[in-house]
Amino acid sequence: MSDVLLDVRSLSKRFGGVVALRSIDLTQYSGETLGMIGPNGSGKTTFVNCITGHLKPNSGSVGFSGRAITARKPFELARVGLTRTYQAVRIFGELTVAENIAIAMVDAVDPVSPERYAELADWLRIAHRFQTQAGSLSLDEQRRLELMMRLVQQPKLIMLDEPVGGLSSSEVRAMIALLAELKAHSTIFIIEHTMKVIRELADKVVVLLAGEKLAEGAPAEILADQRVIDRYLGGGDA
Amino acid sequence: MSNANLIILLSTLSTGLILGAIFALVAAGVTIVYGSIWMPNAANGQFFVLAALFGWTMTVGWGLSPWVAALLVIGLSVPLSYILEILLIRRFYDVPNRNISYFVLSLGITQILAGIYAITYGRWSDQFQLPPLVGGITLIGPFPIANNRLMVLAIALAILAALFILLRFHRYGRALRAVFQNREAATLRGVNVRAIYSLSFILGNAVIFAGGVLFALAYSFDLTVAWTMAITAFAIMIIGGPGSVLGAVVVGMVFGFTQAIVSIFASPTIAAFSYLGAMLLILLFKPSGVFAR
Amino acid sequence: MTAMPAENTPRGLAVHWPLAAFTVAAVLVPTLLSGNRYLAFVAGMTLLHILWATGMNLLYGYTGLMPLMFAGLAGISAYFVVNLTSIGWSFWLALPVGTLAASVAGTILGLPSLRLKGFYFTLCSLVIQTVITLGFVYFASITNGDTGISQIPRPSIPGGGELTGLGYEIVIAVMAAIGIAVLMLIVRSPFGRRLAAIREDDGLAETLGINVTYQKLAAFFIGSLYAGVGGALYAPYIGFISPRSFDVLISMNIWLMVAFGGRGTIWGPVFGAMLLAPIPFLLQDYYTVKDILYGVLIIAVTILMPGGLASGFRRKVPKAAVAQDIPARRLDPRRAA
Repeated sequence: MSDVLLDVRSLSKRFGGVVALRSIDLTQYSGETLGMIGPNGSGKTTFVNCITGHLKPNSGSVGFSGRAITARKPFELARVGLTRTYQAVRIFGELTVAENIAIAMVDAVDPVSPERYAELADWLRIAHRFQTQAGSLSLDEQRRLELMMRLVQQPKLIMLDEPVGGLSSSEVRAMIALLAELKAHSTIFIIEHTMKVIRELADKVVVLLAGEKLAEGAPAEILADQRVIDRYLGGGDA
Repeated sequence: MSNANLIILLSTLSTGLILGAIFALVAAGVTIVYGSIWMPNAANGQFFVLAALFGWTMTVGWGLSPWVAALLVIGLSVPLSYILEILLIRRFYDVPNRNISYFVLSLGITQILAGIYAITYGRWSDQFQLPPLVGGITLIGPFPIANNRLMVLAIALAILAALFILLRFHRYGRALRAVFQNREAATLRGVNVRAIYSLSFILGNAVIFAGGVLFALAYSFDLTVAWTMAITAFAIMIIGGPGSVLGAVVVGMVFGFTQAIVSIFASPTIAAFSYLGAMLLILLFKPSGVFAR
Repeated sequence: MTAMPAENTPRGLAVHWPLAAFTVAAVLVPTLLSGNRYLAFVAGMTLLHILWATGMNLLYGYTGLMPLMFAGLAGISAYFVVNLTSIGWSFWLALPVGTLAASVAGTILGLPSLRLKGFYFTLCSLVIQTVITLGFVYFASITNGDTGISQIPRPSIPGGGELTGLGYEIVIAVMAAIGIAVLMLIVRSPFGRRLAAIREDDGLAETLGINVTYQKLAAFFIGSLYAGVGGALYAPYIGFISPRSFDVLISMNIWLMVAFGGRGTIWGPVFGAMLLAPIPFLLQDYYTVKDILYGVLIIAVTILMPGGLASGFRRKVPKAAVAQDIPARRLDPRRAA
């Protein structure tokens, strides 16, 4: 493990009187795959929204690759190499796949080379779909297009919000395999509420419960942690 | 206080009350339709004038009593709204973001009606005046007020009260409010949402028609009042909170008094500027309105 | 954009022949009609509306914003030009100044689009249009109020004489052709891609690194240039302006030309303007029939756009979850705090 990439210090977020995040500390190193789990409503997406500028945290600070990025706008963050996907897949449905990718490259600070572009398209199995309207792709293809649109920007960190949400079990296996390959050259942060993805991909797991960090550690430790088992996994493996 | 000042005060008060009650009626009608079917009806001003013109034809043209004419006009709004609902409104009920479609649609209706009025009534006259409901004058202290205007005010307030009772206590009213709050949840609770949509479109327009015919009974009017009314009703709805009948009534009253006061000291343009300015500020900074639920 | 796969945008001469054909036709039609001054004038007015519709198309068709204040912006430019020329300025100097005034106004009045979406922005722009019209009526010292300004002098030509008749129509034709060419260039540029992204999903556009604020305002600035040039040319051409020349009906009509012809295509709005702009001039005695006809067309366009006016920009799509246009502040958590 090398440099600190994402450095979150006592991040808090309230909605009116409801505390969504309570003083979260978190560190992610370059090259490390971090998994965040927690039941629905535990604040995972709020956490990502606070990091990527979609929400303003009430207090706390976010450092990214050595600079303070607290409450910066999403487009500025994209330009320093911090990007994300959404829980519900989000693409430009009425444009073609090629146009979607072209838009992702238009303001990319460090766009991929043509060779790498072709490699990525082959690897993500969407090269043959370039002229297809993105909205008519299958969900699985849309997820891969979404990934392609991030990878052409060569981000330093990709935050994936439930990357296998809505996929069939065979598609889930394929996506896990894809992300396992992606791990080799990108730093990723995965939010999931199912353990399977996290167990297979994450180097480090953070458990969120009701806006608080319940536990942090290697997947094996977390799975064995009695508190996590009692309060989140409920005894059975989700 | 001198007599002259007292007269100005009472005159402002009475004009403010009458205008406020009529604004409240029209804005309540607009907000009922927006709250249920999500239609921002920019043609509300044209509907308002249509009611006034019908009233004029029935009384001045056909010689009907203004009481009969007023009832007929309000009654006529029901089949007219229903036909419009079947022809144009119904087909958008399931369109996403249908409010913008409805908005443009209602602007189209506005153009059509404005064109029709210009060709028909526009050739007749510039100013239209209806015979009064009742004759005579009442003195309030030194201030004389036409019994007719007091009657108009009483009817307008009675309609507003009836509307409140309907929305709060009748089962249709409760179903309507359930749809205002959440269409899906209302469906789950067994409310026939489509029937409520039709009903609220008809009810909303009937209230607008009532406002139009009452306005015509109290004041002479011309065709340009349509656009002013449309914009004013929108301003009231936005400031009061789209879908909030209480907000429409309270803000409508405030606007009525503002209009009455401003028209004494400044030009009506200034009043219009102030409404529009208030509406812009609310749109930008609190788009859910002052009386948001 | 080196790594782009081949896209179905043909390049070279094949692209430009429609524009060349348009330019030739735009110059030729008034020339052929110049025997009948009135018909030539109708052709000139139509070309002016083509310019306006093209600018509106940039905003409505390519950026997904639906402002109903376009005529008001044109009016700002027109009043600027008329007042500046009346104090002795050359028309050719007043035109860029008036246009710039319209653009600056358009950019400032476009600011609400950063917060408001869909219907709320359109309503806001309608309110702005109404305020502009009231302003034209109210500031009578500049605008002569409801009476309007008549006998606006024709622009002088350097070297003597006035720009009248066919010469004026050719100037308008050239401006319309330039306007279309500029829009074509924009659509193919990275700027055009950014606008398309904003039109489809401005939240996603921002996540992908696009500065949505800046791009929207740039779109307003450029779109308002079209309004401004058109307004500046309009006033001396028709010789009379009043607040009614630039009111909400005119804004609606310009929108209708874009929507009727087909927003988000270069030539659709041009045809829309060709079909709709001459109608009021040809109806003359039955002038108000125009309002009814336009109203019917507005309703027809609204009904015929299957997904509603807020969607279905290019093709019919099986829709997944569609973003609902509740005011931006309520739904969009980014702007909530």
